[in-house]
Amino acid sequence: MWEKKPILLLVLATAAIMVGTTVTMIVPFMSVNTDADKIASVKPYTPIQQEGRDLYIREGCNNCHTQTVRPLVSEVLRYGEYSKSGEFVYDRPFLWGSKRTGPDLARVGGKYPDAWHYKHMDSPRAMIPGSNMPDYGWYKKNPLDPKMIQRKMEVLGFPYTTEQISALADKNEMDAIVAYLQKLGSDIPWRKAAKTTIVGELKNPFVGNKSAIEAGEELFENNCEACHGENLEGGIGPELTDIDMDDSDLYQIIYNGIDDGGMPAFGSLGTNKVWQLVNFLKSGDSD
Amino acid sequence: MDLGSILYLGVTFGLFVIFAAIVIRTYSRKNRDKNETAKYRMLDDD
Amino acid sequence: MEKPQYNTDIVKSFVHWSVLWGLVAVLVGVIVSIQMTNPEMNFPPYLTFGRLRPIHTNAGIFGWGVGVIFATFFYIVQRLCKVRLWSDKLAKFQLYFFNTTITASAVTLILGFTTSKEYHEMEWPIDLMIIILWVTFAINIIMTIIKRKEEQMYISLWYMLAAIVGVAILFLVNSAAVPVSFFKSYSAFAGTNDANVQWWFGHNAVAMVLTAPPLAMFYYFLPKSTGVPIYSHKISIISFWSLIFMYLWTGAHHLLWTPVPDWIQTLAMAFSIMLIAPSWGSVINGYLSMKGQWHQMRENYLVKFLILGITFYGLQTLQGPMQSIRSFSAFIHFTDWVPAHIHMGTMGWVSMVCFASIYFLVPRIYGKELYSIRLANLHFWLALTGQLLWSISLWIAGVLQAGMWNAMNPDGSLTYTFMETMVEMYPYWWVRTIGGTLFMLGVIVFIYNLFKTAHNGEKTASLAATAEGRA
Repeated sequence: MWEKKPILLLVLATAAIMVGTTVTMIVPFMSVNTDADKIASVKPYTPIQQEGRDLYIREGCNNCHTQTVRPLVSEVLRYGEYSKSGEFVYDRPFLWGSKRTGPDLARVGGKYPDAWHYKHMDSPRAMIPGSNMPDYGWYKKNPLDPKMIQRKMEVLGFPYTTEQISALADKNEMDAIVAYLQKLGSDIPWRKAAKTTIVGELKNPFVGNKSAIEAGEELFENNCEACHGENLEGGIGPELTDIDMDDSDLYQIIYNGIDDGGMPAFGSLGTNKVWQLVNFLKSGDSD
Repeated sequence: MDLGSILYLGVTFGLFVIFAAIVIRTYSRKNRDKNETAKYRMLDDD
Repeated sequence: MEKPQYNTDIVKSFVHWSVLWGLVAVLVGVIVSIQMTNPEMNFPPYLTFGRLRPIHTNAGIFGWGVGVIFATFFYIVQRLCKVRLWSDKLAKFQLYFFNTTITASAVTLILGFTTSKEYHEMEWPIDLMIIILWVTFAINIIMTIIKRKEEQMYISLWYMLAAIVGVAILFLVNSAAVPVSFFKSYSAFAGTNDANVQWWFGHNAVAMVLTAPPLAMFYYFLPKSTGVPIYSHKISIISFWSLIFMYLWTGAHHLLWTPVPDWIQTLAMAFSIMLIAPSWGSVINGYLSMKGQWHQMRENYLVKFLILGITFYGLQTLQGPMQSIRSFSAFIHFTDWVPAHIHMGTMGWVSMVCFASIYFLVPRIYGKELYSIRLANLHFWLALTGQLLWSISLWIAGVLQAGMWNAMNPDGSLTYTFMETMVEMYPYWWVRTIGGTLFMLGVIVFIYNLFKTAHNGEKTASLAATAEGRA
C-alpha cells in the first residue's frame, strides 16, 4: 500500500499532520480575540506608540525581554497583574518572547517616569549597575518618518488624527520607544487595584538601630540612587536630604509608590527592607 | 453526556482504531517479512 | 542491470555551502554569547545582540541544518531509488537560490528588517524566496521517488516526504502577513492567536526540520556505516506515524501559563509526554541495530558520531516532555535552562548526525579517503565537550535563576530583585562561551579536514567511480 506509493504516503502524512493542526491551531480562532475576550479599556496604539513598538521589533528586544506575566505568585509580585488575552488584541505580531535575560516588560508602562527611560536607554549601566543591556542612545539621532507611520496606521486600521501625525515631525526614535514602553500593560487599571491598603498603626521596628541604617544605605544604592542621587541630592526624583515626614508616611510612599508622580512601588522588597530604607533616609547620613 | 463529550470520546476512539490498524497491518503475518525487505535492500548498492 | 549514473556534484556543492553556513552560525553564536557577558561588545546599530541572535539561529537551522538536508537527501534519494536525480538543472538552480536566500536573510536581519517571530524572522520577500526554494526541492525529491527503480520505499524516504509536506504547511501559515512596504509587514494574526500560530510553527519546525530529516539521515547512514541493517523496519514505521501525528499538538507547551486557552495547553502537555514513545522508538531501534556491533564504537568514528547523536536525541526527547509539564514549566521557563535544552538538540543531536553524514559522504564525493581520521576524532571530542559544557553550565544557571526568581521572605515579599538574580548568571555565561568556542574549534578542524581531503592525495580508482556517479 503506502510503502510503495509515494503520493499516497504524502496524502496520508498530510492528513496525520492536519489533525493536530486543526484542533490546536485552527479551532482556537473561534474563541480567541472574540468579543468575549476583548477588554473595553484596552485601546489600539497611537502613531508614536506603534512606531516605538516597531523599533522594539527592529532591535530584537524580544530576544531578551518577555511580555507576558504568568499567574504565579512570584511573578505577579515582581511584575504586576498577570496578562490577559484581551490586552493583546492589537498586537501584530505578539511579543511575548521566550527568554528573560532582562525583566518582563508586560507591565512596565507607568512604572518609571519618562526621564528614567531616557537615561536608561541612553546608558543602561548608569541606572542599573551590572546590567548587560546594550546602549540605545543613538536612537536620539534618528528622526521619525511621519508618512511611513501614517501608512502603518492605515494598514493596521488603527484610529489616528492628523495632529498626531504632524507632531511626529520633530520627534526621534527615542521618543517613540519611550512612548511605547509607557503604554505597555497600562490600559487596565491594575496598579490601583494592586495597592496595598495598610490597616492599623505603622510602627518603625528599627528606631535607633544602627545596622538597619547601614542595611538601608545598601538598599538605597541598589534601588534608589539612580534617581535620587548618590548623596540624596536628587536627579530624576526629588532631593531627599532633609525629609520632613512621619516614618509611617515615608514607609507608605516607598511601599506603594506615587501614582503619576513616577515613583515606583518598592513593596516587593518586603516590609523589613522598606523600614530599613526609612531609617536610612531619616538618619541624615548620606555618605 | 453532552454532545461535546460524545464527540471527544468518539474522536479519541477513532484515532486509537487507526493506530491499532496500522500496528496490526504492519505486524500481520502477511506483511511481517515484506515490511523488512527494504532494510536489506538499502544496504546493497554503492 | 546497468548501474544508474548518480549526480554527486550537487551533493558536493551542498556539503561545501552548508559547512560554510555552519561556521557562520557558530561564529555568530560565540559573538552573541560574548555580548551577554560584555555589553560593550555591542556595536550599534548593526552588530547588537538583538539583531545578531536571529542570524545565529537562522544560519544554524536554515544555512547549516537545511543545507545538510539538501546535500544528504540528494545523495540518499538517488541511492534508495536507484535512479539519477529527476532534474540536475533544477538542483543546480536550487543551490544558487539557496545561497542567495541565506545571504539575503543575513543582510536584511542585520539591517533590522525582522518580523520578530522566532525562527521565522525574515520579512515577506524572503519568505517568498524560501517558498520557491522549498517547492523546487520538493518537486525534485518527489519526482525522483516517483520514477524509482526500487519498489518498496525505505523509511528514510518516508521521513523525507513528511518533512517536505510538513515544512510547507507550517511555513505557509506562519508567513501570512500584510505588507506595509518591501521591508515591513504586520502579522495576519493578532496577540494570542499570533502566539499560538507562531509556536505551532516554532515547535513543529523542530519536528520537520530538526527531527524528521536527521532521522532520515540516521536511518540511512547508521546501517551504511556499520554494514548491518537497522534492527526493525516495522518499529520505524510505527514510530513514523506516531511521531508525525503527535508532534503537531504540542506547540502550546511553549505557552504554558500564558493567556492561550487552558485546554490547548493541556493537550500540548499530554501529547508532549506521549511523544516520548515514538521518539524512543527510533532511539531503541538505533541501539538494537548495534547488537553485536558495539566494538565499532571504538573502531569506526562514524558510528561514534551517530550513536552519540541518537543518545542526545533520546535525552532531548525525555527532557523536552519534562519541561512541557505545567509545574515544571512554571519553574524553568524563560530561564537559561531552555537554551541549554535547545543546544543539546542542535549541537548534540542534529549536528552530530550531520557531521557523521558528511564524513560518510567525503570519500564518495571526493573519490578518496578522508585526510585524517585522527582529526575526525579530535573533532568528535571538541564537539562533545563543547556541547556538554554549554548545556550543563546553563542547566545549573537556569535552576539557580529560577530558584532566585521564586524565593520569598517569610512576610511574603520577594527575596531578590531582578538584577540580583541576573548578575549571578555571569560566570555561567562565561562557561557557555568557552563551550561554544570549543565546539567552533571542532567545526574548524572539520573544515580543515575536508579541505585537506579535497586538495591532497590521489584518487582511489574505486572511490573515484563512486564520486563520478557510477555506482
